[in-house]
Amino acid sequence: MSDVTGTVPVSAGPPAGPQGATGGGNAVVGYLGGIRDVVVLEMKQRLRSRGWYIMLGIWFFVIAVVTWLTWLAWNASMEARRSTMPPSALSPQDGAGSMIFEVVLAFVLLFALLVAPALSANAINGDRAGGTLAILQITLLTPGQILWGKFCAGWLAALAFLATSAPFLVFGMFQGGLTPGHVVVSLLMLAVELAVVCGIGVGISALAGRPLFSIVVTYLAVAALVVGSLISFGLGSQLAQGTVLANSPVGRGVLYAPVQPNQQGQPLEPAQPAYTCEGPLVEHQAIRTDRMAWMLALNPYVVVADAIPYPDRNGTGFYSVGMIEGISQGARSALAGPERTYLCANGVPQPQYLKQTTPLWPLGLGLQLVLTALLMWLGWRSLRTPASRLASGTRIA
Amino acid sequence: MSIAESSSVPGSGALGVSAEGVSRRFGTVHAVEHIDFHAPAGKVTALIGPNGAGKTTLLLMLASLLRPDSGTIRINGLDPVHDSAAARLRIGWMPDTLGVWESLTAREILVQMARFYRLPKDGIAHRVAGLLELVRLDTLADQPARVLSRGQQQRLSLARSLIHDPSVLLLDEPASGLDPGSRVELRNLLRRLAGEGKAVVVSSHVLSELDEIADGAVFVSQGRTVKQQTLEEAALQGRRYAITALDNEALTAKLSELGLEYRVEAGRRPSVTLLLTHDDGAAALLGELVRSGIGVVSFAPAAGALEETYMNLDTEKR
Repeated sequence: MSDVTGTVPVSAGPPAGPQGATGGGNAVVGYLGGIRDVVVLEMKQRLRSRGWYIMLGIWFFVIAVVTWLTWLAWNASMEARRSTMPPSALSPQDGAGSMIFEVVLAFVLLFALLVAPALSANAINGDRAGGTLAILQITLLTPGQILWGKFCAGWLAALAFLATSAPFLVFGMFQGGLTPGHVVVSLLMLAVELAVVCGIGVGISALAGRPLFSIVVTYLAVAALVVGSLISFGLGSQLAQGTVLANSPVGRGVLYAPVQPNQQGQPLEPAQPAYTCEGPLVEHQAIRTDRMAWMLALNPYVVVADAIPYPDRNGTGFYSVGMIEGISQGARSALAGPERTYLCANGVPQPQYLKQTTPLWPLGLGLQLVLTALLMWLGWRSLRTPASRLASGTRIA
Repeated sequence: MSIAESSSVPGSGALGVSAEGVSRRFGTVHAVEHIDFHAPAGKVTALIGPNGAGKTTLLLMLASLLRPDSGTIRINGLDPVHDSAAARLRIGWMPDTLGVWESLTAREILVQMARFYRLPKDGIAHRVAGLLELVRLDTLADQPARVLSRGQQQRLSLARSLIHDPSVLLLDEPASGLDPGSRVELRNLLRRLAGEGKAVVVSSHVLSELDEIADGAVFVSQGRTVKQQTLEEAALQGRRYAITALDNEALTAKLSELGLEYRVEAGRRPSVTLLLTHDDGAAALLGELVRSGIGVVSFAPAAGALEETYMNLDTEKR
């Protein structure tokens, strides 16, 4: 080395000033540039790890198998139906596409919720454990740039999984019964849900000391959103007893129960009630689900299912409510509360099918984003340097 | 304040690193308690202390990563707590953990670092190539960092800390894991960087190394500054010499006769050590021993000057 000391300048002449750090350059461009640099660093690492490709391959294979099995199941059930029913009973909306789409969508969302924490929840503390986080912090990068860079990298990695599953959703579309709007909106919402989970994961990973701990906590947070929201809605509804004014339904024909989400593929009666309401209004005991619907809204399945635009079912004769649409309907009837769902509430016949007028997903997505933003903000606080407080059991470097 | 100080002319006492009364604790552990530290520009300053003395914590505070609970830090007159971006442009920090992005190549790591420091884009490739050559990683530049040996990663880490041409270098155990040849190179490089006017702070506990590198030393123990001295001062305080002879008994007899205080060391070969205040005395004693016919086999400093101070501190502590 000593023989090259004469030739290689250690000093780069006059100190190289930071570009855009002090005036001149656009501050926003400089900020985004820093984020992009972190993303580039992260993506280079991720794209070179073989495990990522293996996961991607497994993901593709599993969804392909699920799609194929769904398609087989559909064909088998159609065979059975054709042998027992006249062709006229089959609606054009009952294409195989809708079923494939729903199953694949539910599956992709499930897998996305499983994969996204793994891709994001060790972003910060994994680097901390490897001693590379402080290397970033010592540079001109701000905590926000590091955090956003990590988040974007995790999200991009998760979006790659979504991209590999997109062909199957498109396949479902071509099998009939769906419009491109369905696919676009559902992919968009899946992407947003991935962002939410990645944000939660990155935030927790900045807060927790150990990668294993933060990954487990992120999985628990996702489980709380998926399962916990249902449980708390169920338990909370029991506490939300109330009353509703209603009179008695008098059937014109058959009285139908409210829409059941799992009556997939079974033709139902027209959406307009087949009864009239008569008699004096009396107070009935009812569960005020409308007060608890926000808990249900936190559920990623509800958010995705509710955001998809469904065709207007009123007056279309026979139709089938699929699983995903059923989730949306269930959530909306919970939001509408007994005033809209109780038979003959306020003496008015209530339609079984709720129109798309009161969507629940903006509320749910909003709550999810608030949670994510809170965790990201706390994570940002813990990334600030010079650090005043360290997570217990961690060294900064 | 920061503008006035950062624009102050070099050559004033503000250059270099200084810490005054810096304290930092983690929970109930006082990692650093009221440390005073000064590393002038153009000098190599050693930070010496036993394991857990607070060296790394102090360096983290100097590197603007940790906020001191109390006390002030100045990096070329800049306060890293309030003016961290400006201070960071001047700080090159090499951590004691390697912290290498393993799947990136050495070249990519340096390029990324240059971008994080927002260096002008057109100069990055040239600068990175120069640094890779400087730390002799140019032949391995396009290998993933994970295949580099520990010493090579250490050199990469050094190059990384130099990427933005900082005026203050904070090196935490830079020599650990280096082979003897690389140590010599590191020594030459650090001397040269100091010669260019940079303030170089080296923490280590390989004291014989520091004797050759450092101009001054700050001794810390249990989170406190115990002693701050230049190497000249360290040399003046006297050092311990080890003497071995063919006939050890004759040697000890002669030393007793001369009225010198000595210690018989337990070692593979029986030897005697004694404290001599200056080099003239050592030369005189050697002449005396040889003249009196004692077969002196070796006569050499038992430890480096800094090690001497260090060991003395250790005994004072007890």
